[in-house]
Amino acid sequence: MPSKLIRRFLAAFLLFSAASISHAAEITVSAAASLTDAFKDIARSYEAAHPGSKVLLNFGASGALLQQMAKGAPVDVLASADQETMDAAVTRKLVAPRERMNFVRNTLVLVVPADSSFNIKRLGDLRLEKITRLAVGNPASVPAGRYTRAALEAAKLWAPLGPKMIMTQNVRQALDYVARGETDAGFVYGSDAVAFKGKVKVALEVPLATPVSYPIAATAGAKDLAEARRFIAWVQAPAAQAVLARYGFMKP
Amino acid sequence: MHPTWTALALSLKVACWATAIALVLGVAVGFLLARRRFPGRELLDTILTLPMVMPPTVLGYYLLVLLGRQGWIGQGLQDWFGINLIFTWQGAVIAAAIVAFPLVFKPARAAFETVDGRLEDAARVLGMSEAALFLRVTLPLAWRGILAGALLAFARAMGEFGATLMVAGSIPGRTQTLSIAVYEAVQAGQDDIANTLVLITSAVCIAVLLTAGRLAPGRVTHR
Amino acid sequence: MQFDLDIQKTLRSGKRTFHLNLRLQSDSGRLVILGPSGAGKSQALRAIAGLLRPDSGRIMVGGAVLFDSARRINLKPQARRMGYLFQDYALFPHLSVRQNIAFGETPGWRNPGRQAGSEAVERWLAAFHLEHLAHQLPGELSGGQRQRVALARALVAQPAALLLDEPFAALDPDLRTVLRGELDRLQRELALPMILISHDVADAQVFGDHVVRMRDGAIQPGAPAIDGADIDPILAEKKIHG
Repeated sequence: MPSKLIRRFLAAFLLFSAASISHAAEITVSAAASLTDAFKDIARSYEAAHPGSKVLLNFGASGALLQQMAKGAPVDVLASADQETMDAAVTRKLVAPRERMNFVRNTLVLVVPADSSFNIKRLGDLRLEKITRLAVGNPASVPAGRYTRAALEAAKLWAPLGPKMIMTQNVRQALDYVARGETDAGFVYGSDAVAFKGKVKVALEVPLATPVSYPIAATAGAKDLAEARRFIAWVQAPAAQAVLARYGFMKP
Repeated sequence: MHPTWTALALSLKVACWATAIALVLGVAVGFLLARRRFPGRELLDTILTLPMVMPPTVLGYYLLVLLGRQGWIGQGLQDWFGINLIFTWQGAVIAAAIVAFPLVFKPARAAFETVDGRLEDAARVLGMSEAALFLRVTLPLAWRGILAGALLAFARAMGEFGATLMVAGSIPGRTQTLSIAVYEAVQAGQDDIANTLVLITSAVCIAVLLTAGRLAPGRVTHR
Repeated sequence: MQFDLDIQKTLRSGKRTFHLNLRLQSDSGRLVILGPSGAGKSQALRAIAGLLRPDSGRIMVGGAVLFDSARRINLKPQARRMGYLFQDYALFPHLSVRQNIAFGETPGWRNPGRQAGSEAVERWLAAFHLEHLAHQLPGELSGGQRQRVALARALVAQPAALLLDEPFAALDPDLRTVLRGELDRLQRELALPMILISHDVADAQVFGDHVVRMRDGAIQPGAPAIDGADIDPILAEKKIHG
C-alpha cells in the first residue's frame, strides 16, 4: 500500500536526519584561503586522532569570512590571515579577546609565471612598461591585498601601479591568474608559492613592516566550545605545525 | 561618477551587447533548426541549450581555459590580432552572450515552428526570394516570441556573475558589473552600497519581466 | 500540348514510404485530377509548382519546361509563374486583403503599404467584389471571401497557369456551387491553363475537360472518369476504400 511505503520512507528519513544532527562532535572552521591545503590535511589528521569528531572546512578571503559570521553563519573556529580581521571580529563581539592566539606566520612574495622571462629584482621594476598586469587581492576584504598595499605605499608604488592591478576576491585567485599567465606577476603568500611550485616562481620576498601573523580563535557563537578549543590546541601542536611547515608556513 | 552608477552603466553596456549577439545568433540558429531536418538535429539543440543549465562557474572555467593566454583560442587571438579578452568588458560580453543565447534560441525556434510553412510556400510561388519572405512573412509572425526571449536574455545577461567574474575579473569601471559589485560590497561589509545595488538590479529585472509578459502569446493584436 | 507531366518521387515518413509515379499528358487546358486523400494529388501539385523536387522526371506546363532531370533543369518556384491556390488559402494573417492581393507585385524586402494599389489590384478587388473588405484582415473574413482573396492574389501576378488544391473543400455546398460558377467563367475569360485536384466529383463535372483518377501515387488508367456511383461522393469514397 503506497501510504505505508510513504510512512516507512518518512520514518527512515527522519531517523537519518536526526542521526546526522546528533553527531558526536562537529565543528565548522572558517579559514583564510591561503590555509586551504594545510588545513585540509590537518582536519583529516584531527578526525583520525579523534574518532567521532567531524571538521567542516569553509575557505575564503578573511574579510568575506568575517562578513558571513557577522550575518549569522554558524562558525566555531575562525583562522584569518591578518590581525586586522580578528580585531574586527573582536570589536563586533564575534570573538572573545582571550580566545585568540597566533598560530603561524607567513611571508608575502611577488611571483611570476613559471615560464616568465621577466627578471624582477626590486619592487620598482614593476613600473617597467613590459609589465602590464598585476594580480593583487582586493584590500577591502583580502589580507594579502592589505599587506601588499602597505608594502607598496611604503615604497611609494601603490598609486603608480594602480592602473596595472587586477583585484581578486581572494589570494588563491590571484595565484591562479599568475599560474595561467593571465597576469605578468602577482602578490601572494610564500605558502601559496610552495603550493603552486611548478606553475609559479618567486621573484622576490616583499619587505613588510608588520609581519604576516595568522591568528586563530574559537568564536563567541560556537556551539561546541570544548571541541573548538580542542581543535585549536591540535593546530598548535607539533604534528599540525609540521604540516604547516611543509606547506611553506613559518613558526608563529 | 559614483561607483554605483558606473557599475550600472557597465552592466547595461555588457547586457545590451550580449543580448544583441545572442539575438542575431539565436534567431539564425532557431530558424535553421526549425526549418531544416538533419540527423543529429535534436542533439545539437540539446548541446546549444547547455549554457542555460550549466553552472556559471563551470562555464567561466571553460571560457578561461579557452580564451586565456594559454588556451588555443586565446593564443590565436593574441598572436594574430594582439587581443586578450580576459579582464576586458568584451570578455564579459562573451560570457554573458553565451548564457543568454539559449534564452533566445529556444523561443525563436518555437516561434518559427508555429509559422505555417505553407505561408512561406505561398510567398515563394508569388515570386519572393528567401530573404524577402523571411523578412515579410516569417519574421512578422514570429517576432513576439523572439522578443520575449530577447528580454529574458537581457535580464539574464544583466545578472550574469559566475562566468563573468572568472573571465573578466572585477575591475571597477571596466568589468565590475552590478552583480559583481554587490558581491564585493557584501564581502567588504559595505551593506549600504550593497542594498542600493540590489534595489537597482531588482527594479531593472522586474521591469524587463513585466514587458516580456506583455508579449506572451495569446495577446495577439495586429500591428 | 498543355501539360506534360512525369513526376517520380519517393517520400519517406517514419517507417512508411510512398511512391509518387505520375505520368500524364494533356492537350486540354482544364485538367482535373480526382482521387481520395492520400493519393498523392497535393504532392503532385506541389511538384508542379516547384515546392517539391522530384527524384526524376519532366514537367512542362503551357509550353514551358519547368523541370527536366535529364537536362538538369529545375526552375525555382519563384521563377515558374504558377498561380497556386492552397487548400486553406494560406492568406498572410498579418496583412490586409489589399496587402495580400498586392503582395506579389512588390518584390522587395518590405510589404506593400496599407494603401497599396495598382491598376491590377483595383481590378481584381472589383472583379471579386472585395472593395469594401480591402482593409480587413483574413481572420475577419468568411470562407468564401477568403477563397476569393486567395484567387485574386494568385491572379494579380499574371501567372502562366493556375494550380488549385481542393479549392472548394472548406466551403458549404451552396457556396461551392456559386464559386464554381465564378471560377469557371473566370478561367474561360482568361484562358488560363488550369489543373484542379479534388476528391469531389462535382468539381470534375464543372471543370473537367480532361479528368483523370489518381490513387496511391499513380494515375489509374482506364478507370471511367465519371460513373454512377460518383454522383454521390459518399458512395464514391466507399467504393474506393472497398
